[in-house]
Amino acid sequence: MKGTFSWTRAALVLLIAAVMVGGCAKKQTVKSDGGAAAAPGAGEVQEAPVKEAPAVPPTAMAPALAEPGVAVTEEIPSRFEDVLFDFDQAVVREDGRKTCQVVAAYLKKNPRAKLLIEGHCDERGTAEYNLALGERRAVAVMNYLVSLGVPKGNLSTISFGEERPLDPGHDEGAWARNRRAHFVLK
Amino acid sequence: MRRSIGAAAGAVLLALFLYPSAAYPVLYIDINAPGGKRMPLAVADFAIGPGDPSLSRGIPKILSDDLTLTALFDLVPPTAHIETVTPAHFSGKPLSFPGWKMIGAEAVVIGQAEVQGGQVSIEMRLYDATQGKLLLGKQYTGTPRQIRSIAHRFANEIVYTFTGVRGVFGTDIAFTARSGKSKGKELYLVGMDGQDIRKVTDNRSYNLFPRWSADGQWLAYTSYRTGAPAVYLRNVSTGAEKAVVRFGGTKAPGGFSPDGAWLFAGVSQGGDSDIYRIRVVGGTTERVVQGGGLDVSPSPSPDGRRIAFVSDRSGSPQIYVKTIGAGGETRISRGTAYATSPSWSPAGDRIAYTARVGGRFVVVTVAPDGSDPREVASAADGDCEDPSFAPDGRSLVYTYRKRGYSSLKIVSSDGRIQRTLVSGIGDAGSPAWSPGR
Repeated sequence: MKGTFSWTRAALVLLIAAVMVGGCAKKQTVKSDGGAAAAPGAGEVQEAPVKEAPAVPPTAMAPALAEPGVAVTEEIPSRFEDVLFDFDQAVVREDGRKTCQVVAAYLKKNPRAKLLIEGHCDERGTAEYNLALGERRAVAVMNYLVSLGVPKGNLSTISFGEERPLDPGHDEGAWARNRRAHFVLK
Repeated sequence: MRRSIGAAAGAVLLALFLYPSAAYPVLYIDINAPGGKRMPLAVADFAIGPGDPSLSRGIPKILSDDLTLTALFDLVPPTAHIETVTPAHFSGKPLSFPGWKMIGAEAVVIGQAEVQGGQVSIEMRLYDATQGKLLLGKQYTGTPRQIRSIAHRFANEIVYTFTGVRGVFGTDIAFTARSGKSKGKELYLVGMDGQDIRKVTDNRSYNLFPRWSADGQWLAYTSYRTGAPAVYLRNVSTGAEKAVVRFGGTKAPGGFSPDGAWLFAGVSQGGDSDIYRIRVVGGTTERVVQGGGLDVSPSPSPDGRRIAFVSDRSGSPQIYVKTIGAGGETRISRGTAYATSPSWSPAGDRIAYTARVGGRFVVVTVAPDGSDPREVASAADGDCEDPSFAPDGRSLVYTYRKRGYSSLKIVSSDGRIQRTLVSGIGDAGSPAWSPGR
């Protein structure tokens, strides 16, 4: 807009509008507002809320679970140390390899043990990317354990991204502890 | 998302055209002019018939707050108003326009409300104070719970009258946050004005990455509630859900195709994340992007022909654009070693993403070919992440994080005007702005 409102232009538009509605009586038409979405429920028949939505068969839809889900938010203490990673990296470092060798020795002695490897990230960066990064870390550890002779069928992975930090702090020390793979024996 | 649907349980919300309304917008305000002058506008206290006298100021407050948010109007404060609006002003008695002009108002909004038998009737009018002309007049009926929705609707009409672009009042923003002392994350909705926060999920697991369908009826999100992650589709009105992505390891929805037929998601298998599209009905799956690196966060263009996504194929996460079904994948992020969470603007002319610059995360927008980069949100003391465009493209919502404290903020797309949308809710993040009405 330049400087002030263009009242001449506005007046012109209003004039045109006035001419357009011309002789119409002022309170003539009672029209439903095209933009007005009807609210569902309460016995009224409304626009179906699924209009233009993906036509999911009603039978495929279940009411949302209200009860608590499986407890994934509490860390299960491990008999093994965590394997730590560098920022934005999924390479198993030398210290992590030593931990993995301890884990591999245990699993070979206990061939019926099943091991879940959780991948975790620090809080920096985007949660979605961190979720994939956590998965990559868990898989890197799994692959190393397999290379040490652990049967792959005894291993599984899950990523929690940045959602479950071990250390609630917000400094380099906390971040370093939170970039990790955590072992859960099942 | 329509607030009226969320508000629900009410009678039909009807707006009646009483007058020739602005079928053709009166373009008083050029929203593209940088630093343009704001329209001085007064919202008078309403005339109240039988019913709740608090509506006299309650509805004008909602209208004023909405119009203030646009940064297109200067609201003349009620203390300066010199005329009391009465029912007579709705049956022929003219307003004292010279008086309104004298206190600086070039436009005046008046209204009257009446509550009877659980129904509220609200009539609102917009006048050009200089010409003394009626620009817009509407009458709405609904339940008392729909009053906010009705006020937002009229505010949208006012914005449309002056700019030719419909306002976004009454839209919602979905986000994730910790609920109380729970360590899990739940989905929430909040009105774009920061009011009316609603909890969507309640399973004390991790519920992440809400994404809207183009019609605003569905939210896709990742949940760990069965122990393993799956992507669920939730009908926002009814709460009905179904799992749509169960294969693979980690998975995160990125967005829907415009027709709602496909859901795009990043899904990892064997540590390598690729981008898939999944038929919402039937579950047919197609891989859209694959490669040795992590490919995540697909954001479909509004025409559904392209996607923006994140890949770390170059050694660090960067933003790429690809035409679906074609070969080429073009990198559009430059000058940063960490670029994530792309979000396509509703007009298709910009892509927003998170970039790490100088050790901080900032929100940047670029043209879809990567040209014309603009930093729209940054903070000296914290990080700005996860942008999502408003349906009118004029602003974005993003997450501001500082040492474990987080809030959701809204910034105009030119980066000049900021406000806080949500604060004080644990770890609020992953905001996604609903489509417009």
